[in-house]
Amino acid sequence: MLRVEDLHVAYGETEVVHGVTFRVDAGEAVAIIGSNGAGKTTVLRTVCGLLAARSGRVEFEDVSLTGRSADRIARLGVAYVPAERHLFPGMSVAINLELGAYPKKPDPERFAYVYELFPRLKDRLAQLAGTMSGGEQQMLAVGRALMAGPKLLMLDEPTTGLAPILAEEAYRALAQLRDDGDVTVLVAEQQVPLALELADRGYVLEDGRIQLEGRADDLEHNPDVQRAYLGIA
Amino acid sequence: MAIVLDGIVFGLQLSLLAVGLTLIYGLGGVLNLAHGQFAAVAAIIGAVLVGRGHAPLVAVTLAVLAAGLLALFIDRTLMRPVYKLTGEARVLLSLLLTLGAAFLIDGLLIYYHPSTALNLSVPRLGLDLFGVRMRGSSIAASLVAIVVLVGLMLFLRYARFGKAIRSIIQDEVGAQLCGINPGRVRTVVFVLSGLLAGLVAATQAMISSVGSTDGLNFTILALIVTVVGGLGRVSGALVAGLLLGIVYTLASFHIGAFVTFVILLLAAIATILVRPSGILGKVS
Repeated sequence: MLRVEDLHVAYGETEVVHGVTFRVDAGEAVAIIGSNGAGKTTVLRTVCGLLAARSGRVEFEDVSLTGRSADRIARLGVAYVPAERHLFPGMSVAINLELGAYPKKPDPERFAYVYELFPRLKDRLAQLAGTMSGGEQQMLAVGRALMAGPKLLMLDEPTTGLAPILAEEAYRALAQLRDDGDVTVLVAEQQVPLALELADRGYVLEDGRIQLEGRADDLEHNPDVQRAYLGIA
Repeated sequence: MAIVLDGIVFGLQLSLLAVGLTLIYGLGGVLNLAHGQFAAVAAIIGAVLVGRGHAPLVAVTLAVLAAGLLALFIDRTLMRPVYKLTGEARVLLSLLLTLGAAFLIDGLLIYYHPSTALNLSVPRLGLDLFGVRMRGSSIAASLVAIVVLVGLMLFLRYARFGKAIRSIIQDEVGAQLCGINPGRVRTVVFVLSGLLAGLVAATQAMISSVGSTDGLNFTILALIVTVVGGLGRVSGALVAGLLLGIVYTLASFHIGAFVTFVILLLAAIATILVRPSGILGKVS
């Protein structure tokens, strides 16, 4: 579904992603794990069109995404939930969700699906997004991304700023999404245990390069991964 | 009382003039210093068409559309390099380019039509309001302004495209992630602001006459209203337009036209010092 080949990305002269290659197949959940500053956010922002690649290929369902604007990529069915969420703080939960389906009229079934996934949003429809707690904002960001019925859902650090119990709740919702099976999930995460529990496969990104890849179970039992990310010596 | 009513009539025109400017600023941090010139262009085109014997309604409709077309042209040409930049560079380039456009438009209008002016007043009709005799054309101009302003507010509040406009003002990246194309929305709003400025030429021409030298005045008034209302705030522009319209009319009646602009500028300065985000914003 998504193929990224030999991707190089730079901020000005400084290259931060040096030839990253990975793929995401339809229906699976994939995690890109790595520490802060490894380049995870840069990779996701490039795929969704917010950053331009220096070189390399990004293909979604055999359509090249390189050079396309973020709004076009979103309309192709690639939803991105950034760590900073980028909600519309002065608008209600309902309008934030509604705009997720832009330019189409939101589908009532989609609303129902999002409410089922995050019942708390339904109680807060009239509340301004900017006045909600971090956990609720994260739910709203994921809910908004789902409103257009995307084929691929990319999340950057969905646990940013969340207490551990809320982080687990967020991942429970993602697991339900994965099990429901109509959206493919790609998550970038430094909370490695949560991400590997969710994912079918994973990639370890370090200093802008993929160091390791494999099935999530295998990565979980890999001694290097355990030492670096799981706190097991 | 009569002066206050006149002030409200003028204030409605100011609101109509400022909403376009403030929306463009909110959408991309760009201040269009040629905004009033759109109105002047519409006035001259309208006057020329009326002079050639076209019915006023036809002439004005074509003139307003022409202002929209001019805005589309400027958006597609001058604004393209502006939106490629970010931050201060974008603001600066937009100021310089639109100021240049304003000079050019002013120069052309004054050279080719030094004494042409649009005047659409219908003095015979009248109505008593709060014991004051109001001219029919003032009432008509106010009604047009009110209908358009209310329509615009409803559009921004309830229409899907209106919500998309607000979403870009609040978080442009978020809007892009929802599939909204900020460039296209900015173009549509720029054209809309041109149409609104053209409409102000028509409504203002019902109250007094609008000539080829009035572009600069309109631009300055729109800027002051936009600053007092809070850059990027439509509701602020409405309130500030009404307030400053009353101040303007009272000051020019009691003191004189030159001092009036100084007073309005003082109001803008005071706003920046006390409430940088506009009269409806928070106290700093």
